Amino acid sequence: MRRARGWLARLAAPFGGGRSDRDIDAELRSHIDLHTADNIRAGMTPDAARREAWIALGGMERTKDEYRDQRGFPVIDALIRDVRHAIRLLVKSPGFSLTAIAILGLGIGANAAIFSVVNAVVLRPLPFPDSARLVRIWHTPPHDQFPGITTFSVSPANFLDWRAQSTSFEHLAIYGFREANLSGRGEPESLQGARVSGDFFPALRAAALMGRLFDAQDDAEGARARVVLGERIWKSRFGADPSIVGRSIQLNGEAYDVVGVLPDRLKFPSWADVWFPLGWRPSDRAVRGNHNYIVIGRLRDGVDGRRAQAEMTAISQRLERQYPADNKGWGAIVLPLQQDLVADVRWGLFVLLGAVACVLLIACANLANLLLARALGRAREIAIRAAIGAGRARIIQQLLVESTVLAMAGGAVGLLAAYWSIDVIVKSFGENLPRAAEVALDGRVLAFTCLVAVLTGIIAGVAPAWRMTRGDAGDALKQGMGRGGTHAGERRVRHVLVTAEVALALMLLVAAGLLIRTLWQLRAVDPGVDPRNVTTMALMLPEARYATPETRVRAFEAIVGRIRAVPGVEAASAIDSLPLQEGGSMQPVAIDGEPARPLSEQPELAVRDIMAGYPGAVRIRVLDGRDFSEADRLDRPPVVLVSASAAKRFWPNQRAVGKRLTLGLISNDVREVVGVVGDVRVHGLTEANAQTVYVPHAQTGSRHMSLVVRSSLPATSIVPSIVAAIRAVDPEQPVVDIQSLDEVIGDSIAQQRFAMRMLSGFAALALLLAGIGIYGVLSYTVRQRVQEIGIRMALGAAPRDVVRMVVVEGLKPTAAGLAVGVAGAIAFGRVLDTLVFGVTPRDAATFASVSAVVLVVGVVSCLVPAYRATRVDPLQALRAE
Amino acid sequence: MAETTEVWRGTLALMILKTLETLGPLHGYGVARRIEQTSGGRLAVHYGTIYPALLKLEQEGYIAAEWGVSENNRKARFYRLTRAGRRQLARESQDWKLTTDILARFLEAGS
Repeated sequence: MRRARGWLARLAAPFGGGRSDRDIDAELRSHIDLHTADNIRAGMTPDAARREAWIALGGMERTKDEYRDQRGFPVIDALIRDVRHAIRLLVKSPGFSLTAIAILGLGIGANAAIFSVVNAVVLRPLPFPDSARLVRIWHTPPHDQFPGITTFSVSPANFLDWRAQSTSFEHLAIYGFREANLSGRGEPESLQGARVSGDFFPALRAAALMGRLFDAQDDAEGARARVVLGERIWKSRFGADPSIVGRSIQLNGEAYDVVGVLPDRLKFPSWADVWFPLGWRPSDRAVRGNHNYIVIGRLRDGVDGRRAQAEMTAISQRLERQYPADNKGWGAIVLPLQQDLVADVRWGLFVLLGAVACVLLIACANLANLLLARALGRAREIAIRAAIGAGRARIIQQLLVESTVLAMAGGAVGLLAAYWSIDVIVKSFGENLPRAAEVALDGRVLAFTCLVAVLTGIIAGVAPAWRMTRGDAGDALKQGMGRGGTHAGERRVRHVLVTAEVALALMLLVAAGLLIRTLWQLRAVDPGVDPRNVTTMALMLPEARYATPETRVRAFEAIVGRIRAVPGVEAASAIDSLPLQEGGSMQPVAIDGEPARPLSEQPELAVRDIMAGYPGAVRIRVLDGRDFSEADRLDRPPVVLVSASAAKRFWPNQRAVGKRLTLGLISNDVREVVGVVGDVRVHGLTEANAQTVYVPHAQTGSRHMSLVVRSSLPATSIVPSIVAAIRAVDPEQPVVDIQSLDEVIGDSIAQQRFAMRMLSGFAALALLLAGIGIYGVLSYTVRQRVQEIGIRMALGAAPRDVVRMVVVEGLKPTAAGLAVGVAGAIAFGRVLDTLVFGVTPRDAATFASVSAVVLVVGVVSCLVPAYRATRVDPLQALRAE
Repeated sequence: MAETTEVWRGTLALMILKTLETLGPLHGYGVARRIEQTSGGRLAVHYGTIYPALLKLEQEGYIAAEWGVSENNRKARFYRLTRAGRRQLARESQDWKLTTDILARFLEAGS
């Protein structure tokens, strides 16, 4: 135990936990004084007395060293002395240090920022207890109808069968979307609601902030209308009212009792603001062919994903046999919830992480080059240290400590940079980033940054340290300032470093270039509508006040009629789901005259409800027949419009107008085609499939419609008049998602745009660093070759020749880097496959223009050192030696 | 001579503890002097070696130290035994006696 105490004391010593150097000094001096005094009393002269005391002590420095060794641990002590020494040295050359710290700060900061996103989104477990057991269960749709789609929402009847027949799950819960128009207090507000089954919250093991969450009783038939509020709404809308539980609020025109508040931390699904009990009626429970719910589950203890998957596959096969009409080809897949939530961004995040790693490698190479350049002035210092007995290992340690201290300082700067940039990064992800609220600099990010900084310091420092300590000490001493103490070998190292920098920068630039080209291509895609000057907004009529289709049709017609009367409005209409927006109905379609097939085998097409005038408002051309008119009402013959590609699919080489088709989900919904309209990219600009069937709103009465209003007036002036027109029809009607159709289309390529921006930013950073690298190497070379240049000029070389010599010197590693980078970009091009569109990852134009940019940057980086070379005064250069 | 130093290193701590017990609080120079005198000059080593040993004992809590003024008015760091130090001294002395007894008997028997 005493020994342990001794160790602890020694461990604490470097951190001020022991005796100070001053104290030890004082004690040894007092020892000398005492001894000297004794000696004088014994008759020595003061000088002899003191000398004898010194001799008896055995030398002050040695004693102090031994003393220190006992005080702490020699290795740690030496390390701390090295760190102090390094800091002193770095402070003495602020130019070098600040440059290095800035370069590293950029490199490490970019890594810290992206890692903090990866950490929060991919690595950190979900905020629910034992969240590793949470899974999501999707349908897998039949391949031939949904090529490329691997997960699909679930139908109520299938879910009920899954729950009844499976044994792998402690809970199997289901949730779906439900609009929630909040009224009765101030401005009506449209919220997103989730309707959840009774065991939804128990499956998550979520706990309420106040009150309670739902249980099975809340979902029982005939239960009172209840609701759970999200923390955000509770605060923003109800002023964090502590007595909210038990109060009644107005949602969708009906009264609901608030039973509890769910903390934002546990918000799931992330889009929801309020939660309703599922409230299925027997008719809802029987629906098997309509897939619009999402299933989550909690695995039973001891059951792994594979067993659950096997069981679900077996159940699905049974259901396929039992209900072939609805279920043929529909399987089930069990995915860990966390992985499933971030599946969309996971790949992109890892691409970004790779990009910032490249930036950091370039920063590393730059630091290595800076350190090598610094060796120029330090060869002598190091030679002296070696001459007085410091071992090579000891000197290397000292040099590595120096580069690591630099890297740690760079890491600190990087953390600051990351702290400031995280918000920007998260925002530029937009709504594509799940768990965005959890992104923060936590302990794990700090640890990661520290580790990266230390590794950076060691990696960047090792080559220079090796080089600097290799030379013969005597040599360096003889060679005065150490000029010429460098060899061809060292130059090679520097060239290799620059080559690597250029190659990495080129690869990032190629990636950025491909994405920029992708965006151009996407911009050039004709969406099929003319989005200019079109403002859109969404309306959701609450069921309570608009119970019948007739009332809804009347309401929308009144609203659109009023908007058309607003001065400045050229056209107005509505559609249930805007082009290129997520969601929108897909329905099985059968054409008249074909043999009857089960629903599950019918082709599924996009089906859109539109009001009359929609094609005109967004400038979709009517190619044949007519647009819907006010006359196509519920009591009139059912009609449809089909898009050109749908017409071609069903009636190749025939006129579609006058033909009949059946919308599968509503039995006997046979409709006559009255017109053929131009194709619109409904699913995305990259999706060629645009087959669409349009149904008149007046014959369906959908509650949710998006208005499209064409006006050449600026949005700021037209939007208030439109909202006023809506409120004139229904003052309690919330209006949401006000944006231009241009923005809607822009949002559909947000992922590519985001990836392009991030990669461009990092590529620019990489290019800058590579430029600095070329510049640094050349400045160093010019300084080294001052004498040679002087002689050349004395012998009659023109400035032009000198410039050419320097530039050629600089372009050699640049050219090598270009070659390596092009090869690398071709090899790694595949990682961008999912992000690029309209260009191949080996696009020659991109490679050529990027190479040109790198070359230009290379030449520019050469120019300043080259100019400096021409300013060499031959006389001075010769005299200097 | 080589053996002497080995023994010296191993027993220095014991000697320091014993010195402090006999003479009471004492500075490093005094301890070194005392050890030298007691050994009759046969342990002539550098005084400097005593300081790391003192520090080690201090770290282990057997002795404590504070600055004071010496008999002829000089500032010096004074060491004194702690209670743990006294116990350690008793234990160590006993061990040492035992060892030397055994060794003495062993050597006599062998000769």
